[in-house]
Amino acid sequence: MVKQKKNLQETASELEPIAVESAACENNIRPILEEIKKCDGVIGYILRNTTSATIDLNDPTKVIDYAVLSSSTFEASEQLSELFDLGKAKNIIVEGKDGKTLHLSVGENNISIFMEKSADARKILEKMHSS
Amino acid sequence: MENDVYSFALRNTLNEITNACPDIQSIFLFKEDGDIISGEEKAQEEAAVHTVDALDDVLEKAQTLGGVQNIILEGTKGTVNVSRMNDFYLVTVVPEKADLEYVNTLTNVLVPTVLKLLEKISPAVNRDGQSEPENEEPTVKPDFKPIEESTEETAEKHEEHEVSEASPERILPEPQVNQFIVENVGGLFSSSDTVRIDSDTMSQWTEQYEDKKIEQATIETFGGKSVHCKVKPIRDSKYEGKGIIQIPERIQQSLEIRKGELVRVKPIIE
Repeated sequence: MVKQKKNLQETASELEPIAVESAACENNIRPILEEIKKCDGVIGYILRNTTSATIDLNDPTKVIDYAVLSSSTFEASEQLSELFDLGKAKNIIVEGKDGKTLHLSVGENNISIFMEKSADARKILEKMHSS
Repeated sequence: MENDVYSFALRNTLNEITNACPDIQSIFLFKEDGDIISGEEKAQEEAAVHTVDALDDVLEKAQTLGGVQNIILEGTKGTVNVSRMNDFYLVTVVPEKADLEYVNTLTNVLVPTVLKLLEKISPAVNRDGQSEPENEEPTVKPDFKPIEESTEETAEKHEEHEVSEASPERILPEPQVNQFIVENVGGLFSSSDTVRIDSDTMSQWTEQYEDKKIEQATIETFGGKSVHCKVKPIRDSKYEGKGIIQIPERIQQSLEIRKGELVRVKPIIE
């Protein structure tokens, strides 16, 4: 019986942010991202830290594709920053034929914002910084 | 690729851009298959190889965005810009205080113009340095340093040469030279004298030299070392289409190369 309760607790902790510190930071960022998601051309975002991830995308079928693209971009940015001595990566914008993404780090949180081709990534970035 | 008209013209263009914009820390072009055109400095070529390696995954995963057109990475001390230009990706690295607008204007005008001009000036030579089928003699020939060959092989080649002379309509094209990024090869059943490359490249070779069996290739490093070894298609699908050559450790040691470095590969026609 006791064991069963523990399992339930573990399941609950997987669904909700675990670390209090990251949750606090995350709680500040999430409302900003919710606002940004309302902007023209924004189709969703991924907010990820060492302990949890929040994904909010209009098209749930693309969750995995976007999550993989997000982590690959952050990984590449680290490698390139080191290779060319660029210091800390401030932001990365990836533009494709059909869409674009903006990636940035705030504290320990990695944020990826996905947009339609017509969206203005610079404006979104400014909005992120001003909020 | 290194010796063809395209790479020569593009290499000069990149050097001129660097001269005009001393702010540029690094500039080079690469294709998704791993071909790289960089400036004269060796350090640039090494950085280019590592950049292609780092961007490999992003380029693949960005298919979900319809393929990469542009990547801008802003760091606290500088910026990397990757722009798609025809089949190439142009990478420019500039420090924080550089005039990005000037650099972008110059590169975004000059490189596409040169690419367009090259298409018009030498339509008979495609970007891989191969001649068009109607050309009897290839315009560009790979320039390799001679390597030691066994007498048996030399005799075979000599015989082959005589056959070619006897029937001029069956002249074989110059061996195609490809560039690949070195990757380690693992596994219990991997052979220590066999390298593995894309099955697409193997198919291209087979098409180019119809009826000829291609089981061996010459691997040449930029340091001038070369070796003959058996060649087979890559088994691991994750390395397919990435411009990678899997080389066993023993061969890597003899060539004094390691993972991530660039080598040239030429088929040996038997």
